Amino acid sequence: MLRVSELKKGFGSGRNRLEVLKGINLEIRQGELVALMGPSGCGKSTLLNIIGGLLDGDSGEITLEDFTYGTRPPNKVVDIRRKGVGWIFQDFHLLDQLNALDNVVMALELSGINSDEAEKLAKDSLIRVGLESRMEFIPDQLSGGQSQRVAIARAIAGSRPLLLADEPTGNLDVKSGEEIIELFKELCRTDGISILMVTHDPILASMADRMLLLKDGLTAASDIRSAWGEDVEEE
Amino acid sequence: MSEEKTTPIDPITGKKIKEISEEVDLNEYNEEEVKSKDINGDGLNGDSLITEPTLIQKLSSVPDNLIMAAKSAWIGRERGLAVFAGVFLASLVITTVVAYGVGLSQAFLQFSLEEEIFDVKMDFSEDPGDNVTGRTNDSVQWESVCDELANMEEFSDCGLVFGRQGVRVDGFFDQDFIIPQPLNVANATGITGDWGNVSWAYPEASNSGPPINDGRILRFYGEGIWDGEFAERHSKRLIYGSWPSSADAEANRSVVLPSQIASAAGVSINDTIDILTFTYVTDYLSFEDSVAGRTLENCAGEEVVEQSGFSFCRVEMTVTNLKVSAVYKEGGAGNPTLLFNPVMISESVLNDSQRLILMDNDHGYLGLTVDRNLLPTTSTADATEWLEELKKDVEGQNYTNSGISVEYNDLISGTITFLNIFLGIIQVFDYVLMIPIVILSFSVLIYGLVLSLEQRKKEISIQRVIGGTEKTLSRIVLLELIVISMFAWFFGYIIAMLATPDLVAAVGFMEFDRDSEFRVNPVLGIVTIIFIIVVTVGVSWLIGRSRTKEFLSIEIDEGVRKVAKVKEQRTWLHLLVFVIGLLAALESFIQSNNSDSDGLVGNFIFDALLLLFGPFMLWIGGALILGRIGAAGPRILGLILGWTAALKDIKRGLRGSGSSESVNRLAVVMILTLSVVTLAAIQGVTGSLVDERTASAQVGADMQVQFDSPVTEEVARAEMMLAIDRVGSQEISNISAMTSVGDIFTSPSGEGALIRTWVLFDDHEKTLIWDNQAIPGDDQDTVIDLWSTGGFTVGEEALDVLDLERKNSLARNGFPDLVMGGGRTIEYTEYSFGGISEDFTPIIIETVTETDIEFIGVHEWVPGLGGTEAAQSIVIGESAYRELVGDDNADNYESNRWFFEFCDETDNNCAEALRNLNVEITNGEGVSSADDWSNAHKEVENSGGLIFGTPGLLSLQFLVAALASVASAFVFLSLVLSQRKKELAIFQAIGASPNQVVRIVLFEIMSIIVVSMVLGIALGIALAQAFSGLFGIFSYIFQIFLGTSTPIDRNLVWPWGRVILVNIMVFVAVIAALLFTTRRALKSDLAVVLKGE
Repeated sequence: MLRVSELKKGFGSGRNRLEVLKGINLEIRQGELVALMGPSGCGKSTLLNIIGGLLDGDSGEITLEDFTYGTRPPNKVVDIRRKGVGWIFQDFHLLDQLNALDNVVMALELSGINSDEAEKLAKDSLIRVGLESRMEFIPDQLSGGQSQRVAIARAIAGSRPLLLADEPTGNLDVKSGEEIIELFKELCRTDGISILMVTHDPILASMADRMLLLKDGLTAASDIRSAWGEDVEEE
Repeated sequence: MSEEKTTPIDPITGKKIKEISEEVDLNEYNEEEVKSKDINGDGLNGDSLITEPTLIQKLSSVPDNLIMAAKSAWIGRERGLAVFAGVFLASLVITTVVAYGVGLSQAFLQFSLEEEIFDVKMDFSEDPGDNVTGRTNDSVQWESVCDELANMEEFSDCGLVFGRQGVRVDGFFDQDFIIPQPLNVANATGITGDWGNVSWAYPEASNSGPPINDGRILRFYGEGIWDGEFAERHSKRLIYGSWPSSADAEANRSVVLPSQIASAAGVSINDTIDILTFTYVTDYLSFEDSVAGRTLENCAGEEVVEQSGFSFCRVEMTVTNLKVSAVYKEGGAGNPTLLFNPVMISESVLNDSQRLILMDNDHGYLGLTVDRNLLPTTSTADATEWLEELKKDVEGQNYTNSGISVEYNDLISGTITFLNIFLGIIQVFDYVLMIPIVILSFSVLIYGLVLSLEQRKKEISIQRVIGGTEKTLSRIVLLELIVISMFAWFFGYIIAMLATPDLVAAVGFMEFDRDSEFRVNPVLGIVTIIFIIVVTVGVSWLIGRSRTKEFLSIEIDEGVRKVAKVKEQRTWLHLLVFVIGLLAALESFIQSNNSDSDGLVGNFIFDALLLLFGPFMLWIGGALILGRIGAAGPRILGLILGWTAALKDIKRGLRGSGSSESVNRLAVVMILTLSVVTLAAIQGVTGSLVDERTASAQVGADMQVQFDSPVTEEVARAEMMLAIDRVGSQEISNISAMTSVGDIFTSPSGEGALIRTWVLFDDHEKTLIWDNQAIPGDDQDTVIDLWSTGGFTVGEEALDVLDLERKNSLARNGFPDLVMGGGRTIEYTEYSFGGISEDFTPIIIETVTETDIEFIGVHEWVPGLGGTEAAQSIVIGESAYRELVGDDNADNYESNRWFFEFCDETDNNCAEALRNLNVEITNGEGVSSADDWSNAHKEVENSGGLIFGTPGLLSLQFLVAALASVASAFVFLSLVLSQRKKELAIFQAIGASPNQVVRIVLFEIMSIIVVSMVLGIALGIALAQAFSGLFGIFSYIFQIFLGTSTPIDRNLVWPWGRVILVNIMVFVAVIAALLFTTRRALKSDLAVVLKGE
């Protein structure tokens, strides 16, 4: 479903040039929950940003269902963000002044769905994440876990095949974090959504179907211990 | 600002930060105490953390700190821009207002002193006589005193004059003031010129002042008067020729004539006077002495008795071969010390023995000019004191080696006494008028400061985390603030000082007269400058300090998360202020539209208070209340336009906007500035128009000429054509139209009461400048048409005589047809001589004629004729007049008063030509006086009208507010948008295209701006109305103290062009700011922005 091949990305130029991704190859199947781990600065977020259309790679190719991209700048891959990937951030990134429902509807309307349809889809997805009683609440009135659920509802409402989660539980307590992972697993299982999740938490990572380790700009083993043992620095 | 503060916890010590900060405040504790205190509660004493620098260390680090602050200010220049804009505006406005006050009093003093060419008449302190010391009869030595006085910077020019004898009294009202006599012209002869036609009597002189002398006076000027400042001042009054230099005056034996003399003699430039005889005074006798039978002994000349009763021995002297170098326009009566409108001749035409005689008889004095720019203009009391000091200083010395002592006759102080009252009122008015603009600049400053500090919230919190104390952080922020503020103050100050002379010289709204006669050079004292710095930089520092403190008291975590406490707004207070302001606008509206009504508030004091303070309450309350509506612009327009394709996909993104404090402030600032722009434009244009219309009402046409006796149209035309030829101006070469207003008495048919009846001849409208306020209704064409077809109008007080009421008038009905019940028959009685009766009494034949006329309505005035008389008169047209007096009489109509139309009186060239023509026609045969539109307009602008200098103030208001609105739109928008960078990145992350982002931003900001603009203009209109009430109060005060008034009601005009222009400018600035910032936001690295930078 998602195939990344020979993806390269570097920052800076000349002597200050730093190659972050040196030819990433990976594949994710439909309905798979994949945890992406690695030491700080190894390029996890960079990889996620390129896949999610927030950053352009230097070379290589990404295939996501019918989309092929990888080196196109963010303003040329609006469709990827609309129909391909849904984003879930550590800071939730909800719009403070809109209630839960509007936060979800807005994303749908932006991708061209008309208001009535969007509202129906948004309600469905909020129910899906267990927030049927919190639809009219604004982010300030929601707990961290609930806010993240709104973000998840926003990401899945547009029937996007892939969710990208950048440390989705980083701002949550252990219990809420685990609930979120459970929700992820359920989404993968029942809705056939694939999820690529960056995390530093080995326990959460162990709950994923599969784990990818990023090291020295390349995908390495799926061995959690070898990955963690080398570097425990926080990002 | 919210008083409530949270009590944050220091993450390291767990102690309350507020307590720590109090303990750290070194101002409250001595150094030792602080060092030994355990400030952080960590078990260590303060010394281990803080070593307070010594004073010397502190001082030596100032330059480094300033450089650091300047660098930091430059790095954060975007946020600094708002502070800069605020302080700059405040400095600009306050400096201009203060400098304007100084400049205005300078200009006003210059204006008042315009009539005065001499500032000082310097005489010997002792009367002439035998064995008198401190005098000289050597005119060269006397003149050399000028050289000694030239060393004093207070004097700008000095010269010898032979003229009026020495004045050694304390004031005009001293009995001895009338004794010193001038030189009088006795007669003149010459080949060119009809000198026999010239009268040398000048009774006007004693009519306009004390009864000193009523002959034409003569002055001989030494070289000092022909050159320098004196030359400049004399030149201003010349109408023909040029003021000769001292060398030319000597070589040509120059004489400069008053226009009346030149005109009567029919001489022009370079014509010669062969012999001029004048008289000087050798002795006098008081009235009492004459009555007592004493006589003037040894009088070599003629004994002349003046009006005062004093007799003078006048002896003749002649000078020959004079050449006319220039002709000047006679001025009005000024200070009588020097008497008025002399014939002026070069002193070099006198021979030595003549000089000696004049010196012996006390006719020689020194004329001086004071450098008027040095006159303290801070207050007139200061000016008077300065002059008194100068007088003391000058009189306290002896001059030349003969020890000459002098009597200093100051001609300026008299003028200043009058100025005292006038200037006081004007300045109060000016300061009141400038209140909005000062508040405006402060609000830009405050809002700018708050916004820029908000941007630093996170930075400050991070600094706290890494150990910055309240003191060090405040110091960093405040030092940067002070550096920016000082720069801003300096720029504002410089621009204000450069602009003030032009503002003072403004003659109308946004009309800056560069060639104004009154150029001022305002200089501010050091105390004033320090005051301005304290007010601008100080306020910036104070607000910065309190705001920084507030941020520092916010919990660190809260600051990092950027969660702001929502302040409780005092809506009810804003609403109350707004409603009272609206009441004032309504009151002003009612009073200006119905002069009979008392308005809403009957009590005079309350009414005055409402009209005085209401406008300001309306403005501030209105901006605060309407600002909320402005901020809700996106939601309002979103609701209306939400269904359109342009908004369908982004409407939800707009729903939440407007809730943020910064957006609210943007709306408030827009409304504050744009309402002042509107106010200034409306009041400025209205004021200028009122001045023009006042001039039109006073003069009635381009020119109004009064003849000594009634003349026919042909005679009046011929006289005017002669004057036109004499002027020879290209601008006026013919009379475009002329008319007169007939003046007869009629009575209602069968009744005895006589009514003054003015007759408008056909085509009068081609000459007379009618005003909508003068006529009933507001349709001039219809009223003029009705007059010519048998209609009549009535003055307010004549209504009863004709048994009419206002409601009969056509004005109320928009002139559909003549109204029933308004018809009247008036009769005119002509008396003619019918021979002598048998008992030798003259037979008077009375012929009574009648005509029917129809009532049009009530007129307020007739152009060029007094408003008081108009109230008691009726006005009829030519057809009715012909029926009354018959065609013969009408065709041979004669009048004292004729009106002329020449050119577009508002055009500068035309205006100048009119002024020149006025001088000529005034000297015409049988002409008693002439008024031209241009002079009348100047006078109205300078002293009547609204008030001297107000156009400049309103122009300043307009310019500053326009500048403020454009600048604040740009600055505030940049700040608001950079605050929203993250939000825009989220939009993109969840699928918004660049196009959608641009649309969201554009629509959101544009709708705030557009709604604020509309509200700003609406508030401005209400403000202009409210300010009319305030102007009304001041014009009432002016009328009481100064007697200036106008028949013109201050009906507002709406200069949409200018208002729209400024709004377009704001719009363009907003679009520029938007494109700039949005482009940057779109270009920024989405991933980085979302990660939290």
